[in-house]
Amino acid sequence: MTRVLVAEGVRKRYGALVALDDVDLEIAAGEVLALLGPNGAGKTTLVSIVAGLRRADAGRVEVAGCDVARDPHGARLRLGLAPQELGVYPTLSVRDNLRFHGELAGLRGAELRRRIAEAAQALALERLLARAARTLSGGEARRLHTAMSVMGRPALLLLDEPTAGADLDMRAQLLALVRALAAEGTGVCYSTHYLHEVERLGASVAIIDAGRIAARGSLDALVGRYGRAGVELRFDGPPPPLDGDRVSDTSVRVATREAPAEAAARILARLGAETRRLRAVELIEPSLESVFLDVTGRRFSVNGHHAGGGEDDDGGA
Amino acid sequence: MVARSLAIARNDLRIVARDAFPVVLLVIVPFVGMVFMKPAFRPTLRAEGLAHANGAEQAVPGMLVTCGFLLVSYVGYGFYREHAWRTWERLRASPATTAEIMAGKALCSLALAALQFVLVFGAGSLLMGLDVRGSWAAVVLVGAAFGLFVVAAGLAVTAVCRTVMQANTIAYLGTLLLACLGGALVPLSLLPPWARTIAPAAPTYWAMRGYRHAIEGGAGDALAAAGVLLAGALALALVAAWRMRFEQARTGFA
Repeated sequence: MTRVLVAEGVRKRYGALVALDDVDLEIAAGEVLALLGPNGAGKTTLVSIVAGLRRADAGRVEVAGCDVARDPHGARLRLGLAPQELGVYPTLSVRDNLRFHGELAGLRGAELRRRIAEAAQALALERLLARAARTLSGGEARRLHTAMSVMGRPALLLLDEPTAGADLDMRAQLLALVRALAAEGTGVCYSTHYLHEVERLGASVAIIDAGRIAARGSLDALVGRYGRAGVELRFDGPPPPLDGDRVSDTSVRVATREAPAEAAARILARLGAETRRLRAVELIEPSLESVFLDVTGRRFSVNGHHAGGGEDDDGGA
Repeated sequence: MVARSLAIARNDLRIVARDAFPVVLLVIVPFVGMVFMKPAFRPTLRAEGLAHANGAEQAVPGMLVTCGFLLVSYVGYGFYREHAWRTWERLRASPATTAEIMAGKALCSLALAALQFVLVFGAGSLLMGLDVRGSWAAVVLVGAAFGLFVVAAGLAVTAVCRTVMQANTIAYLGTLLLACLGGALVPLSLLPPWARTIAPAAPTYWAMRGYRHAIEGGAGDALAAAGVLLAGALALALVAAWRMRFEQARTGFA
C-alpha cells in the first residue's frame, strides 16, 4: 500500500515545552486519518512540520516519498494545506484566490479553469466566483479556504480543524469532498474537535496527547480495544470510595463489561447514604469519545467544553 | 521557477490593482512636484552652466527618485499583508520555493517601478519640456538600476523589520533623508559643502548623477552611476537573503 505520509521519531521542543515526543505516524493513499487531541496536544505542530513550516528537532518526515527536510520543494508539490486560521486574499475574487493556488500548483489554461470549476462545485462556490473574498460570510470564506488547498490535487491533504465555525451545509460539503478525494487516492490528515465527523467519515484515528501518539488504529479497532462502557457519577464534594478512576475532584468513572444501565443500578444500590450527595449519573457507551476518555484520562473537549457528539448535523452526507 | 514567480507577481499586481489609489498617487505626486519645482530649478541649473536648461532636467528625475524610493515600503507590504491576511503560511506550504516567493514579490515591485518610470518620464518629456540631449537608452538603464536598487532595499528592510510600522518608518524617513542628501529634492549645488561631501554615500546621489548625465549627454558617467546602483542592489539583495527568516512571525498592521 502506498504511503503518502511517513513520520518517524519526530520530536519538537519549544524551550522547556515538549510539543512532540517521538511521534510515529503513517497515512496510506486513500486513507482519511483523524488526528484527535486536546488543545496543546501537538496536532498543529505536527501538521506544521509535515507541511514544512516548522523543522523537527529530530526524526524524519516523508510526503509521498519526498523527505520534507531534504527535498522540501518535492514534498510541497505533493501536499495541500488548509491551516486552522482562515487565510484568503480578501480583496481578490473567489476565482482569483483559486486561480493563484492553481497556478502555484503548476496548472495553466484549460486545465486551470477546469480545476477551478471542480473545486468551486465541490464546495458550492460556483455562484460566488466573481465575489471579493472580503464580502463572503464566515462559512463561505471557510469553503474558499479549503477549496484553495485542493487545487493541486495533492497526494496528501492536511486539513487543520476545517469545520471550525462552519455551518451545517459546509460541514456536509466538506465531508463529502474528503470522501471523494480519498476515493481518488488522496491521503487526508483531518485534525478536528468534532468526534461525530470522524465517525461519519469512517476515518482511522490517531489520538495525540502531550506530544505523543497515544493510540492509532481504525475506529472499530480502537473502540473494540479501548472503548469500555462505564458509569460516571458526580457528587457534591469528593466521591466516595468506588472501584473506579477519579476524573475530577467530584467525579468518578467506573468501567464495566456489563451494560452501563445494569452497572449503574448495581453501583447505586451499593452507595447507601452517599446517594444523598449524588448529583449526576452518566452512562458511557463504547464510542470514540469513550476511547478518548480511556486513552487520555480526559473527556474530549474544546476549550474545556464537551464536544464529543450529539451534533448529528452533517445531514448524513 | 519562472512560472511560479510570475504567478506570485501577477497575484500581487491583482491585489495592487484592487486598491490602485496609492499607486496613482505615486505617479501624480511627482508630476505635481515637477510643476512646482521646474521653474525654481531653472536659474540654479543655468547658474551651473546649463544654458539651455528649463528646470525639467532636475525636476523630472528628482521627483522620480524621491517618489520612487517610496516603493521601498511597497516591497514590504507584499510580505506584511500576507501575514495580516494569514496567507503567508499557506504560501510557504505551496510548491513555491523561498527564492520563487522572493522573486515574485520583487517582480511585482519592479513592475510598479517601471510603470512609475514610464509615466513620470513620459509626462516630463511630453508635458514638462524635458529634452533628453544624451541617450534615452542610458536613461532607461539608470532607471532599471535604480528600480533594482529600490526593490533590493525594500527586501532588505523587510528582512530586518518584524512589523510594518518599523519598515514604513525606515522607508519614509529614509526617503526624505536620502532625497535631500542625494540632490533629488534640490540640486546638489544648493547643498552646504559638508552635505556635498557625504552625498556620494546616498544611492539617490548616484541615481540623480546617472539621470542628469544621461539627459545631458554624459553616457559614460551615466553607466558608471548605474553600475554603482547595481552593486548596491546586489549588496542589499545579499543582506535580504542573509537576514530574511520566512518562518519568523511578522505583524501586518501594527
